[in-house]
Amino acid sequence: MKPRDEQELPIIRVRGCLLVSIQTELHDRLALELRSALMERVRTQGIRGVILDVSWVEVIDSYITRILNDIGKSVRFMGADCYMVGIRPAVAMTLVEMGVELDAVSTALSLDAALEKLELPR
Amino acid sequence: MRTVESEIGAILAGSISEITQRSIFRRLGGMARAPLQHLSSQDRHAIQTELETSVRLFAPAKSAQLIASCARALALLGAPGGPAGPPAPAAGGNPSVAFARGAAPVTLGALGPSATPAAAAPASLGADKRLAIDSEKDIASARLEAWAEAVRIGLSKFTSVKVATAVSELARNIVFYAGRGTIELRPRQDTRETRLEIVAADQGSGIEPEKLDAIFAGTFRSERGMGKGLVAVQKLVDEFQIDTRPGRGTRVSCVFRGAR
Repeated sequence: MKPRDEQELPIIRVRGCLLVSIQTELHDRLALELRSALMERVRTQGIRGVILDVSWVEVIDSYITRILNDIGKSVRFMGADCYMVGIRPAVAMTLVEMGVELDAVSTALSLDAALEKLELPR
Repeated sequence: MRTVESEIGAILAGSISEITQRSIFRRLGGMARAPLQHLSSQDRHAIQTELETSVRLFAPAKSAQLIASCARALALLGAPGGPAGPPAPAAGGNPSVAFARGAAPVTLGALGPSATPAAAAPASLGADKRLAIDSEKDIASARLEAWAEAVRIGLSKFTSVKVATAVSELARNIVFYAGRGTIELRPRQDTRETRLEIVAADQGSGIEPEKLDAIFAGTFRSERGMGKGLVAVQKLVDEFQIDTRPGRGTRVSCVFRGAR
């Protein structure tokens, strides 16, 4: 068994969407694995949305932002939407101050809110 | 085998994220993985002190309950004949210097009798801390250490998250581009304000002047985003200075200010 921080992140399917709760330190390899796993499932399972839950993430720096944004970009290229949910107020304010771009992911207050938005007819 | 990591991890699960838990255990060093029954009473108290600080910081709503559960797991409650209080503070000299994080794997800045000891940094703010940044793992612990330090010296919750974010950026730059280096946290206080000075230094390849200009003009972006990282730090902090020489290394100094 791989040590806990080496394991890939579990991807949960819920109502035609994929949910990933980020509870581990993201690094290059993990991020690439997550991205390709998500893209593969979007392609083969007709997924309409990917939701990244960051409510456990206490600090998001520009590197993590770029990783999340790249995942969003890839998912969008495949025709699905990407949502980030559960962002903490202090984290949001910090991202605004840093002026980092997060243009490829939409945001929603909670998982419920993201699912609701994804279920609206497009 | 029952270890601090397994027992305390079970208590903190659901209240403190795994990322943070790992950083906390890393700060305990070898004690986190040692079998519980092999820990001396002094070790247990040191661990409990460390846990109390972290739990208050990361799970304030449930801290009392979690701290009590941790003490039970460490068999600190109702242990007959055990020493009542935490071990004496490690910092010598001044008994009022109470280091909450006795087990933190940091070396105190080798200040010695410097030119401006008492006026610039009263004992109540504590000594400088130097964190070694040698691998990707150190990024998360440096972040946590900086966050705890910011909270400890009384910076606001929001500022403390900014401190943690800036240290995360600086530590990443060190690991990605220089391989290794140090981050120093220097709490300072005068009559007007409390400040946290952060100095990130490495002996890496440095940044060429043209590249540095491009970074701050926003026109440069490395593969792993160093440009973004430095610019982000500059935007977060109250004072920012970068000294870099190609072939010699880079030193970024920045300051966060808090009202008194």
